[in-house]
Amino acid sequence: MKQILLLEDLPEIRAWLKTLALQVFPGAQISESARIHDALELVNAVRFDVAMIDLGLPDGSGVEVVQALREKQPDVQSVVVTIHDDDDHLFPALQAGAFGYLLKEQPREQLAEQLHRISQGEPPLSPSIARRVIQYFTAQARLKPVQEPDTVTPHVQLTDRENEVLLRVAKGFTLPEIGVQLNLSRHTIADYVKQIYRKLNVSSRAEAALEAQRLGLFRR
Amino acid sequence: MRKQAPAAAAPAASLLGMASRRVWIVLGLTLAVVVAVGLLALNQEASRLSRPDAHLASGNDVHTLRQAWAVPDNGAHFPMPAVAQVNGKAVTLPDEWSRSQPGHKGGVWYRFPLGFADGAPADALLAALVDRACASVEVQLNGAVVFRSGRMVEPYARDCFGSHVVPLPTALLRPSGNVLDVKVAGYPIQRVTARQRAGGLAAVHVGPMSEIRQMADEQTLWTTTLSQIMGGVLVVMGVFSLGLAWVRRLNYMLYFGLLTLGWALMTGRFWRADLPVPNDAMEVLIAIMMAPMTAFAVKFLMGYAGIGLRDPSQQVWNHRVNLLLWAQCLLLPLSLLGLGVDRLFLGARIWFGVFTLELFLAIGHFLWVTGQGRRAEFWLMSAALGVVAAVLGIELSYQSGLLQTGGLHITHFVMPLLYAAVGVRLIQVYARALQSAEGARAHLERRVQEISVEIERNFNQIAELRVDQIAEKERKRIAGDLHDDLGAKLLTIVHTSDNDRISTLAREALEEMRLSVRGLTGRPMVLSDSLADWRSEVVSRLGQAGIECEWRNPNDIIEEPLSSRTYVQTTRILREGVSNIIKHSGASHVVISADVDLENHVFTLVIQDNGKGIPMELDGRLDRGHGMTSMKHRAKQLNGQCLVESGPGFGTIIRLTLPLEIATMQQVLSHRPGP
Repeated sequence: MKQILLLEDLPEIRAWLKTLALQVFPGAQISESARIHDALELVNAVRFDVAMIDLGLPDGSGVEVVQALREKQPDVQSVVVTIHDDDDHLFPALQAGAFGYLLKEQPREQLAEQLHRISQGEPPLSPSIARRVIQYFTAQARLKPVQEPDTVTPHVQLTDRENEVLLRVAKGFTLPEIGVQLNLSRHTIADYVKQIYRKLNVSSRAEAALEAQRLGLFRR
Repeated sequence: MRKQAPAAAAPAASLLGMASRRVWIVLGLTLAVVVAVGLLALNQEASRLSRPDAHLASGNDVHTLRQAWAVPDNGAHFPMPAVAQVNGKAVTLPDEWSRSQPGHKGGVWYRFPLGFADGAPADALLAALVDRACASVEVQLNGAVVFRSGRMVEPYARDCFGSHVVPLPTALLRPSGNVLDVKVAGYPIQRVTARQRAGGLAAVHVGPMSEIRQMADEQTLWTTTLSQIMGGVLVVMGVFSLGLAWVRRLNYMLYFGLLTLGWALMTGRFWRADLPVPNDAMEVLIAIMMAPMTAFAVKFLMGYAGIGLRDPSQQVWNHRVNLLLWAQCLLLPLSLLGLGVDRLFLGARIWFGVFTLELFLAIGHFLWVTGQGRRAEFWLMSAALGVVAAVLGIELSYQSGLLQTGGLHITHFVMPLLYAAVGVRLIQVYARALQSAEGARAHLERRVQEISVEIERNFNQIAELRVDQIAEKERKRIAGDLHDDLGAKLLTIVHTSDNDRISTLAREALEEMRLSVRGLTGRPMVLSDSLADWRSEVVSRLGQAGIECEWRNPNDIIEEPLSSRTYVQTTRILREGVSNIIKHSGASHVVISADVDLENHVFTLVIQDNGKGIPMELDGRLDRGHGMTSMKHRAKQLNGQCLVESGPGFGTIIRLTLPLEIATMQQVLSHRPGP
């Protein structure tokens, strides 16, 4: 039985999302909360499998909860459920460790399908997000040589294949199309995307740690 | 050890400097000596030539009376022959009392026999010229008073440079035994401070009135008028210097002005009037004038050399010198008073000696200081040193009685010339400084203008940036509000409405809203990125609907910018077109080709399906229900056009042509801070 965290401030939408979650994960145990504060308490108390997190909340951004989950329950699949489709909003959540995103207004069937795919390890990737990821890693690669060699974090790099996939997504090809182009199975493509998300998160965390270290927030 | 090297080098360098300085000083002194010797020679020649008798040797009509019988007497007439015989003696003119009548004060009668006038024709107009008697003068012809200049009682007149023309009435002439008596009333040398003001008689000429008049005029020109002209010039220069000093706060200019003015007033021969002031007071007054004059000269030289401007130790010296100079001004009159009226000349001579020494010291010091760098000043001052040396030498030897009284002294003209030279040089220096200051000011002004233009430009840029930032912030706020408020409500409708149509409408509204927000907050996109976004959306939508899609892109990456407005509107048109295909066309295959004509800045998008086409309305136009109107309207808003070709059986072609606003967009991009 799946444990699901549902963070959404609008009651109607929360109720609707609950039915959606129950449709995808029949018999799941769903913990609802309307505020970040409550959600963080739940994160400390309950072990979740899936988290559906809204970004714009009355007491802050859902990215906080994504981050907390990433740190405390690394295995949980955080899915951002939002009304924002632009990379400005989505990219930070993905960096924080979200594993995919759903756009709230989509029809129930589509949403159910997407949620199912994410839970199966097939996260979506839009061209604009892909472009942001490329930009991010390019900047990282440019920064790396400047830093000392004995930094605490490993140097995260994308493989050629991952890059290939990213570039094609950025050009507007859909994941199935890329699978055909590269002669790869749907699952392999999905694995690449997962890897890209994971590396984005690892690299971002390393960067954050490094930043904290530089500011003297770490005492070792 | 390393530190000693420069320490040893420094004295060596200064030694070298000293050596070269010495060479310069020697050169300067040589010039001074040459100038001085030249001047002395010139002076000799000038005083010889300017004697009134010298150039009249050819004219036989004028007789120069050189021999006279001089009797000290204050009487109204030449003394009785007995007295004259006892007290008097024969003298040769020019007669200086300091030699012939030492210590005598008051009148001395000179008797000249006028043998040549015996039997002169009755209509002849004779006159005598009394040349330079620095005292009161009375002339009697055969015992009758014919001329008087000044009082015969103290204080005596002191008209030293004026000559007197005395007409000799023929009526008074006797057939024989004519005598000319000249009474001179003056002071002994001890009671004056300059030899030329001591009693004496230079020469007496007798001849026809016209020639005598001419001689007198000539002499007046040389001795008085020229001096007055030069004095006037000096006054003007002095006032100019003072003005300059006042305006520009140049101390040395002030002293130069005072010096020039003082010299002009003292030597300009403006004081021809016979002032009824006691002689001693007058003499002391004149002597006192010399002290501040020397002070001005020394101060000018020091200031012009730039002493006391930089070094504090120099300032201390400067201060001491000042004290000495001003103390001198006080000491001089005190010492003269202390010495008493009978030793005025002695006191004055001592003081003049001191002043001379000071002046030489000051000039020497000036040469020492300027010897290094200021060549023009150095040569000028070297020449000046020579001039001053010569002038003072002439003056001193004259005062000491080594030179004869009378005649013209070159000193009268050289000093003003020297002043003029120095003044011209000062003005030249000043003008040059002014010019360079003007240049610097103009340069500065230009720089200031450049900088203010730059500041203005920067300010405008910052202001624009700020406006951009504020606008951006505001757009973000509005976007946030739209999402939070309108978005949430639409979303609720989407997911709570039982009516499919309503929830679809709400969903479309939400998508519209999102696009609008994107247009609001929108950064310009790169055309390639926009194409990627469109492709991704269209392909997945058509794919979900089970329609085959072929997307043709230009191969190369197109970095041309696309405004967010164009992006949003094109997205809408594309969405509408794809929706139409999915909903109405029944097509199984769609070809979408995008093309960019960079030369004409035109972007074309062609959507072609193999569906059943759009049915005709009754009026022969295409069905408006298929959103064609709004697509065309949007294209028009972007200054583009949207053409729809359709016919039953062969599908629909939508041809969208839009201009790329490259220039304006690049401007926007360059102003905007990076994301």
